[in-house]
Amino acid sequence: MCQIATFQGTSDGEHAARGCRQKMIKHDPNSMRKRKLPPCRAACPADVNVQAYIALIQQGKFNEAVEVIRRSMPFPAICGRVCFSPCQDACTRKEIDKPVGVRYLKRLAADIEREQRNKKPEPISVSHDKKVAIIGAGPAGLSAAYDLAKRGYPVVVFECMPEAGGMMRYGIPDYRLQKYVVAKEIMHIQDLGVEIKTNVEFGKDVNFETLRSEGYKAFFVAIGAQISRKLGVPGEELKGVFYAVEWLRDIALGKTVDLGEKVIVIGGGNSAIDAARISLKLGAKKVIVAYRRSRMEMPALPQEVEAAKKEGVKLNFLISPKRIIGEGGKVKAIEFLRMKLGKPDASGRRRPVPIQRSEHLYEANTVIPAIGQIVKTAGLPSLLLDKRGLAITANLSTLETRMPGVFSGGDSLTGPASVIEAVKAGKRAAESIDRYFSDRAIDRYIDDGDVSNGGKVEVEETTWVKHVDTIIKKPERYIGSHVDIGRWEASFEEADELLARNKETAISEARRCLECGPCTECLGNEKLCDADKAIINEKLCSGCNLCAVICPYAAVKKNDAEIAQVDEDLCKGCGICSASCPDRAITMKKLPDAQIVAEVETALRRAAI
Amino acid sequence: MFRPRIIGFVCNWALPKRIEIPSFPRMKIYPKMQVVQVMCVGRIDPVIVLDTFAKGADGVLLVGCPLPDCHFVKGNIQAENKTKILKKLLSLTGLEPERLQLEWAYATEIEPFSTIVDAFRNHIIKLGQSPLVGENSDEKILSNILAAKNAVADFSLRVLTGREEELTEAMNAYGKRIPQEEFDDLLDEIVNREFLRHKIHLLTSQKLLSVKEIATIVNHRPALILRQIADMTSKHMIALDHVEETTPLYKALEVK
Repeated sequence: MCQIATFQGTSDGEHAARGCRQKMIKHDPNSMRKRKLPPCRAACPADVNVQAYIALIQQGKFNEAVEVIRRSMPFPAICGRVCFSPCQDACTRKEIDKPVGVRYLKRLAADIEREQRNKKPEPISVSHDKKVAIIGAGPAGLSAAYDLAKRGYPVVVFECMPEAGGMMRYGIPDYRLQKYVVAKEIMHIQDLGVEIKTNVEFGKDVNFETLRSEGYKAFFVAIGAQISRKLGVPGEELKGVFYAVEWLRDIALGKTVDLGEKVIVIGGGNSAIDAARISLKLGAKKVIVAYRRSRMEMPALPQEVEAAKKEGVKLNFLISPKRIIGEGGKVKAIEFLRMKLGKPDASGRRRPVPIQRSEHLYEANTVIPAIGQIVKTAGLPSLLLDKRGLAITANLSTLETRMPGVFSGGDSLTGPASVIEAVKAGKRAAESIDRYFSDRAIDRYIDDGDVSNGGKVEVEETTWVKHVDTIIKKPERYIGSHVDIGRWEASFEEADELLARNKETAISEARRCLECGPCTECLGNEKLCDADKAIINEKLCSGCNLCAVICPYAAVKKNDAEIAQVDEDLCKGCGICSASCPDRAITMKKLPDAQIVAEVETALRRAAI
Repeated sequence: MFRPRIIGFVCNWALPKRIEIPSFPRMKIYPKMQVVQVMCVGRIDPVIVLDTFAKGADGVLLVGCPLPDCHFVKGNIQAENKTKILKKLLSLTGLEPERLQLEWAYATEIEPFSTIVDAFRNHIIKLGQSPLVGENSDEKILSNILAAKNAVADFSLRVLTGREEELTEAMNAYGKRIPQEEFDDLLDEIVNREFLRHKIHLLTSQKLLSVKEIATIVNHRPALILRQIADMTSKHMIALDHVEETTPLYKALEVK
């Protein structure tokens, strides 16, 4: 029976209780094979089946929804908090009113699942003998480990920090992503059989030679971009200049910092906004974010900028620092130069051009430059690096480096990006490593869309929800971010309220989904999804007779050897015996179209006699 | 005497069973109709029905549960919708649409079931042997059936079949509703269009053909054919092979 079958329009409770494959039949079983993907799913870098988990949430099946997410990536709760949610931007519903609040739904489902989970997942059995070493336990490394472990490889992750998680743990502050959330998600990966070795620094404690001698056959270098880019202006060596990434890491490690009253953050990315909001929480009176372009070009998440403004962070645009002025070795002020916007550059944003003789001073006790991150290349072999030795080079689509068996991806290859893009890199690395081991062509499978299907399926969006203007507009969707300034301003707790921790709200929000695709392919419980007949595993059957008692059609009976037998003529595939079997000996199988066609052929032959 | 070859796709839940009526003589029904037992009559793919005709069945009887009583809630409504589309397609192919019939029966009552089968069998005997059987079988109808089979396997008809009830009746959350008449017109249009397209596709996959040749074979105006070919080109179903003197010749592409 279909997991997301709806019972709209049935007043008869009995019908609902029977369970049904109505939705599947509605769209025809063959429509499981569809040509195009719904826009949300096509937009997700990690190929998460968004439509499926939204549909499962509609049914109140939160745990199953999280299972669907976990099929594609290991971080439902983390992405529910910090993802920039391209799925939401792609949602067809936005042409009517507001897109479905996918991120908050994912977050709520993940939180409910975490609270309700009472047993560890089963470890995945190792089916390959080739060991894989992953360097860096950030989102890219961990999702590569997760995917490889699911494919049956023995995986060990090496991490130089005391805790795994990378930027998710040491970069994103607590009020956006709590540490215990990260810890739980990582624990889930460990429970599947991935080993994480912390406090092991690559290049110092281990390197490729020692790891090769220990029997590792492939490597994924996902060390991230861990060093802040320098400003390159005079006065950077003064006391009171903290670089954003290192500073955020220190705070995550629990160090205390004296900020003074006036803080100036330079940069316009998420780290800059994080640094500004944290400065305010640490007691700074006046916090200014100085960005050399305008609000339009800011790479930070709009809701983060909005929240920062609400909390009292001042945003100054079109200024760039010229020098930092010190007094007695400490920062006293910054001289800024005013900018104007010129022609678009390679990134598509307009290039800031300095205006001559527009220097002006800002007083400051602390300067936090957050203008980008670079890779820490010390300790890496030169074959991995580019000519200048500043960055890692690899094939951007297959993630192969010039060293055989060594792959690299994530922030360390592409520069600082988001969690979900790191997950994409990790999945891609897992696919490449799998292909490297099984001697399948590595360079063939990639288009820019899909990795999980080996690039076979063309990722295209469905366009079949037409005439959207005829659909009645619903009230504004639940936005989720209810930041109570008075309460949250000085707090490191998560500032976003959940969907009021209210399942009802979540379900009605999920019902706003337009279902831009026939079957969602949730495969909620694959054994039941398209079951037609019950089959009994005789080895597992204990002969308790429960199935025979419970079968409404008397299709199950025990034979002389006290083992249950199914009469195929009588079995109607309701799945009740499968659900009630205490030994899990009964599974459901599908009656495929091909079998019906074969039956037709024999029937015609019989009729001809 | 002519013995029709009748295939009955009978719903699990509508087929009288020996368990319900122990004295029921199964063999009484079975020589009259070959029963293929399925989980739900709504589960039967239209492709399978057309395939059954192509393989030489004289009649196909679909038997499901009466309307409010489907075990899968709406399977019988789906069967109705599918039968509607199939009948439209059959009338386009030249095979009598009456050779396909959808009937309701209860698993607990044997009498109505036998009556249905007898009536259908008599009807088929009246219609005579299927033109697709025997030595002088009708090639044209056969190719039409194949085209119809491809048409129902295609995306647009499949989606439209599945959503009829939702579009015309269901009070969905957004108040979107198409009147039944409008939907029927739409269905007619799309069935005709899809059939014509797949017919053209089938013809051009066997042989390079010009627009005029296709028009004479399918008996339509050349302008209409050209328009369909233009649409099909954009869907990568057909492509221009080469131009002979001044006549462009088309060939079918493999549909993914």
